Amino acid sequence: MTPVSPLAGVVPGYLLARLARSSAHPRAASAARRTLVQGRPSSRARLDLTVDEAGNLVAGVVDAPDRTVHDAANTERLPGIVVRREDEPPVRDPAVNEAYDGLGAAFDLLLGAFGRNSIDAAGAPLFATVHYGVDYDNAFWDGARMVFGDGDGEVFRGFTASVSVIGHELGHGVVQTTSGLEYRDEPGALNESLADVFGALTEQYAAGQTAAEASWLIGEGIFTDAVEGRALRSMSAPGTAYDDDELGADPQPAHMRDYIVTTEDNGGVHLNSGIPNRAFATAALALGGHAWERAGRVWYRALQGLAPTIGFAGFAAATLTAAAAEYGEDPEVTDAVRAAWASVGVEPDGRNAAA
Amino acid sequence: MGGTPQRDTARRVVVTVARTGGVAGTRREWRVEAPPADAADWTVLVTSCPWDQPAAEEPSGADRFVWEVRARLDDHEYARTLGEEALQGPWRRLVDAARGRGDTGARD
Repeated sequence: MTPVSPLAGVVPGYLLARLARSSAHPRAASAARRTLVQGRPSSRARLDLTVDEAGNLVAGVVDAPDRTVHDAANTERLPGIVVRREDEPPVRDPAVNEAYDGLGAAFDLLLGAFGRNSIDAAGAPLFATVHYGVDYDNAFWDGARMVFGDGDGEVFRGFTASVSVIGHELGHGVVQTTSGLEYRDEPGALNESLADVFGALTEQYAAGQTAAEASWLIGEGIFTDAVEGRALRSMSAPGTAYDDDELGADPQPAHMRDYIVTTEDNGGVHLNSGIPNRAFATAALALGGHAWERAGRVWYRALQGLAPTIGFAGFAAATLTAAAAEYGEDPEVTDAVRAAWASVGVEPDGRNAAA
Repeated sequence: MGGTPQRDTARRVVVTVARTGGVAGTRREWRVEAPPADAADWTVLVTSCPWDQPAAEEPSGADRFVWEVRARLDDHEYARTLGEEALQGPWRRLVDAARGRGDTGARD
């Protein structure tokens, strides 16, 4: 389809009425009549007009993002002032445009790969704030919006520079509205891993990459040149993203036998996420093609309705259930998912295996 | 650890602050052993913090920093884990001081 006009219920009524009476374009007329009868969509939508093989004009309405980017002006006051709204042209500040484009890429993944209209599946507007704090070395999800710091310039660059980081933060919003996974210990590490899955898939979907072509890195380009490292994390090879004098070595485990028990980082949520991260990347690489099409679909389906306290083993079982439901006739998918969890020492039947 | 704050100036003050979490998941640590001439100021910074106050309810969201704050005034030890949103007032002053940002008002 070729998007010709970004519209949000602003297709003029006279145009819809005229299309509805068209005899030259019967399918467009039918679509226009449906829109007139059903009323305008409650959330933003885009009108797509195409010409089919028979030469008919085909009109369709598809969901569209509703983005607003704020600027905290290096304070910690949220949300800050509005600097760019949906459909407005780029501004001079690259961080604003990066956030805006990144939110769009994440929205496109959710809609295109999973048929999900925004974070809540109901067209929720997407909010981001840039330039939070002074030298702030972080990006976070505050429960309602994504917030990005500029980095200190010595170790970290600005956090809007990575599409996978933006997709990661939006992924937390999806997890919050689907399962509400607790943000501590194993459920918290699973929450982090799922956010990384959304982050990686956002980047891959935007680039049209296959699993084999993808870097499987989260936050590539976030470190300054002074840091010995490629990214914040590697999903396919946890523990290998950086090894730096100042930061130390990437501490992520890649197997249950190396699970880290700690009181820091809410029980190591950003550390132990390496285990389910590797399971996802392994399944996607084994299946080949686009990771969002089979592995991603299985993980997305498994996420729906999870208990907030579920751990790796419970989620692994949910992915097998989802694989059977989605691809029951295709044992390749179930086999790949089962093998992926086995490769990281997770038994899907409810027990975590430590080899 | 924790307990009744010490009010007299300590002869030896050591403050250690560790920051974990955040989307990067990296760990940073700052440690200060106060020079004798500054011990009185550091004692006030440490004893001004509500070490025994119950933790506030954790906010929703993800990827916020987690702060482990430890202090030693002579033989008295204090320790507290704080979410980023709780790092306000005397906690913020103590952490900023330990990070060498005490008088700048700069905020991470």
